[in-house]
Amino acid sequence: MKSKKRSYAQFLSLPALIIYAIFFVYPLLKGIGTSLTDWDGMSTPHFIGLDNFTAFFKDARAIHDIKTTLIFALASAVLLNVVGLIYALLMNSDFRGKGIARVIIYLPAIISPLIMGYIWYFLLQPGRGYLFYAAKQLGLPDLIGNWMGKYSSSMKVLVFVNVWQFAGMTMIIYLAGLQSIPSELIEAAKIDGAGNIQCFFKVTIPMLMPAIRINVITNIIGSLSVFDVIMSLTEGGPGYATESLSIYIMRMCYGSRTGYSTAVAMILFIIILIPVLISMRLTRQKS
Amino acid sequence: MKEKTSLKIARGILVLLICIMCLVPFYILVVLALNSPSRVFYEGNLFRPDFFWGNFKTAWEKSKIGTAMINSAIITAGTLILTIVTGGLAGYAIARHGTKYNKFSFGIFIGCMMIPGIINTVPLYTLMRRINAVNTLWGMIMVCSALAMPSAVFIFTTFIKALPRELDDAAAIDGCNSVQIFWQIVFPIIKPATASFIILNGFGIWNNYAQAVFFLQSRKKHNIPQALSVFFQQFAGAKWHLMAATAIIAIIPVIVVFLVFQRQFIKGLSEGAIKG
Repeated sequence: MKSKKRSYAQFLSLPALIIYAIFFVYPLLKGIGTSLTDWDGMSTPHFIGLDNFTAFFKDARAIHDIKTTLIFALASAVLLNVVGLIYALLMNSDFRGKGIARVIIYLPAIISPLIMGYIWYFLLQPGRGYLFYAAKQLGLPDLIGNWMGKYSSSMKVLVFVNVWQFAGMTMIIYLAGLQSIPSELIEAAKIDGAGNIQCFFKVTIPMLMPAIRINVITNIIGSLSVFDVIMSLTEGGPGYATESLSIYIMRMCYGSRTGYSTAVAMILFIIILIPVLISMRLTRQKS
Repeated sequence: MKEKTSLKIARGILVLLICIMCLVPFYILVVLALNSPSRVFYEGNLFRPDFFWGNFKTAWEKSKIGTAMINSAIITAGTLILTIVTGGLAGYAIARHGTKYNKFSFGIFIGCMMIPGIINTVPLYTLMRRINAVNTLWGMIMVCSALAMPSAVFIFTTFIKALPRELDDAAAIDGCNSVQIFWQIVFPIIKPATASFIILNGFGIWNNYAQAVFFLQSRKKHNIPQALSVFFQQFAGAKWHLMAATAIIAIIPVIVVFLVFQRQFIKGLSEGAIKG
């Protein structure tokens, strides 16, 4: 009787699994097949082997998109962690208004990155944005310059906006990490004669390792699939210069190159798999 | 450990500057939204708006942002309810019955947890078209639920594993079946798990754009980001006062919810970070 009950109860996970299987796992597996075809979304697909993948690596735009995506992800991950950690160190003691400051710094992170991109577009647009007028009134009309016309300045602005928006998120996680370090540990190090800087690198940073790992991995994975902020701020421009792989996938799909766009998705998948596997490896080592 | 006063002041100034940096873009957005339509971009005073409130009325009417808000609310509520109920049941089954089948399903959820939605969006689009789910709110709810499901299953499994089994056994002796045990005994106890799931996923579902751009193309079914981007493209960069007013209308609900629940929110995020 009891074992029968058990066997029925174990299948309570079935509804969740069915939803997940249909709307996530099945398309993921199906995509592998589609990526090997010349399907345009309408007519009968033909098997073309790895042609989509070789076409991808021959396409200068695609290679450039990989570069853009990687630069954006790595620069964002590094800066988000450095800035978030600095914020957390500043906030890691009791002072008046701490609660309010934390809420204000976190606030940008809850807003849609698409909308945030538009807000910065109003501020920064060359020749028309708020900061352009501010600079003009200060007698520095060239301060903003035509940053949208160049790849390097466009990338800097995109990374800046992303870091500005999400530094509060990394800060919260570092704050939690800092607060979990027992103060006796730092006092003991000080008694042993360690200075502030030594204390930071020999005690604080090693104790923060779990928080650092979460932050670095989630930021890299999140930034590798960046979509919203680029769509609203540069639309991938100038030309296709700041186009990310996610945007490329969407545009190829709309361009009726369904087979090819799934192949690009598979390539992005493999790129994302690298940090995922590293994080799984590190978690396993921990336990 | 007493800090020097000069250090305290320096820190205070830095924190203040960071806060200002975080708020200034919002203030500029407000200034822009209150500019009179005749003003050319930012000619004139940069800090004092014209207080032209009519922009909000025009923006509301032209952008159809009200419909988009209702759609976003339905999608977010529907997704959260569906994932909490099914993900909670799954977490219960996995935590309490470590059978091969459940180990396998947990492995699938965790294994795919970090794969972002864009990877399978194109094949998913084909599937959605075949089952007539494109441009429907229920279709978008299913897509968002699938994306949030691993997080739900992971959080509920972890929380339920920490509960004593005696709880279930006592209820079973009283004649409850498994669904009743979950719903009447376990679910009320794991409210913190539900709260942290909502905190970690709610805003992301509300703000979803990468999927909405594929699955919510018809104007009546737009969610907020999709409605905003279409509205902005329509003006091709002109009429900033209307665009800014629409953006403000769009972000007000999110900011209100965040400010009301900020205490639970930041606590939930911090706890999630330590557990992870």
